[in-house]
Amino acid sequence: MSALRAEARVALAIARKDALAELRGRHATVSTLFFAAVVLLLFGFALGPDAARLAAAAPGLLWLAVMFAGILAVNRLHLLETDDGALEQLALYPVARRAIYAGKALAGFGAMLLLGLLVLGAVGVLFAVDIAAAWPPLLATVILGALGVAAVGTFYAGVTVRLRAREVMLPLLMLPVLAPLLLGAVKATSAALAGDPFGELAAWLQLMVAFDVVMIVAGLATYGFLLDD
Amino acid sequence: MTDAGFVIAAYGVIVGGLALYTLNLWRRLRAVGRDDRAP
Amino acid sequence: MKTRVLGATALLAVAAATFVALAVVPADLNQGDAQRIMYPHVASAWLAYLSFGVTALGGIAWLWKRDLRYDAVALAGAEIGVMFTAFAIWGGMMWGRPVWGVFWQWEDPRLTTTALLLALYVGYLLLRRLTDDPERRATRAAIVGVVAAVDIPIVHFSVEWWRGLHQTATIASPDRVLDPAAPMAFVGTLLGMLGAFTLAWAYLMIRRYQLARAELAREERARVELLAAAR
Repeated sequence: MSALRAEARVALAIARKDALAELRGRHATVSTLFFAAVVLLLFGFALGPDAARLAAAAPGLLWLAVMFAGILAVNRLHLLETDDGALEQLALYPVARRAIYAGKALAGFGAMLLLGLLVLGAVGVLFAVDIAAAWPPLLATVILGALGVAAVGTFYAGVTVRLRAREVMLPLLMLPVLAPLLLGAVKATSAALAGDPFGELAAWLQLMVAFDVVMIVAGLATYGFLLDD
Repeated sequence: MTDAGFVIAAYGVIVGGLALYTLNLWRRLRAVGRDDRAP
Repeated sequence: MKTRVLGATALLAVAAATFVALAVVPADLNQGDAQRIMYPHVASAWLAYLSFGVTALGGIAWLWKRDLRYDAVALAGAEIGVMFTAFAIWGGMMWGRPVWGVFWQWEDPRLTTTALLLALYVGYLLLRRLTDDPERRATRAAIVGVVAAVDIPIVHFSVEWWRGLHQTATIASPDRVLDPAAPMAFVGTLLGMLGAFTLAWAYLMIRRYQLARAELAREERARVELLAAAR
């Protein structure tokens, strides 16, 4: 049991290190948030100006913006390591590889949660949807979605960190895997905003939970092999 | 296009594709075998 | 030698099954001749999933045993799997246009899941191509293959729910022939096509595996020469 607690402590330490590095290099975080905002603006131009159509599309646009910006966020969290060879040094420590993945994914989750909440607010404003009324299920959806994107994104960022053509390979690998999470998140958001008329909200949230659990377990089990190189 | 057209398109690509892939495999196997015999 | 016999048998079997599917078995009462497409379409889909199962297992075996032969099996499965996936999608589209009136239908869980399968394994093959070191390549491919494999059931369920909750009339599905009430002629033809395609799959897997081993050996020789030249 204490071995597990030691792992958890390591994971938290790594998460804190990454989060602090992010906060210090604030311009990168801000750029990612602005990128998400730009994506939303372009959606407005592409699908507008009919307010009803935009409102109907809002859940999809919200999650697409989060996922595209999420690619940048997880990519950057791993770049922090390669720049000074820290990843290789981390791998030398007699710490469970799982803890490294857990720490990075946790930091990623923090970033994605912040991103998700801000994008949710922006979508509420830009596409005239009432997010305040349904805020508990919307919050749950954002948390579950952020967790899934962080789990999957951290994993693939690790896979592609020293790969040629990394800029295209990370989204190419990550996005298909995220498709069911995207579907679940959009349907849950849509149901929440409509007041859950068909009673399907719970089912979609369950799908997201199942996705998150499976992907976190898969990441914990396999990420460590990357560090054996 | 009549139904027959779609059927031919389907079978043509699938069975034809299998044939093409097989030929391509044979070509690649010959190429790598040739390298062995090269000086 | 045995492989050649397998190949010849597969060729004959595919030819025979194709002949039966096109000229012998009757057309469907509702879907007409278009229903004939369903035989190679379902067979291709079955082999696509089988291939990717092999890829996932090959990857796990590599991670466990560190023998590159398992990675060669995984590669063979992925390349052949991508081919059968493309066939399955193409067949689905060729069937869909006459029967649904459209080439694509978002509510068909098989079609959308198979499209995602294609995306996942094209990514897998590209990833392999971008890594030169054989062991690192095998490791990266293995873990990506595992994650892709566990994603597939989730994708399938999510799209099933997507369709189910949409509350429209049930759309016709290509694998109606798997319905227990289907006539024996249809089932028999499908099983024959499946068997023939599986023989072809086995032959291609063996050959692709041999190719992978040979290319690995060539890579290794090139590396040894490079090291010798560097001294």
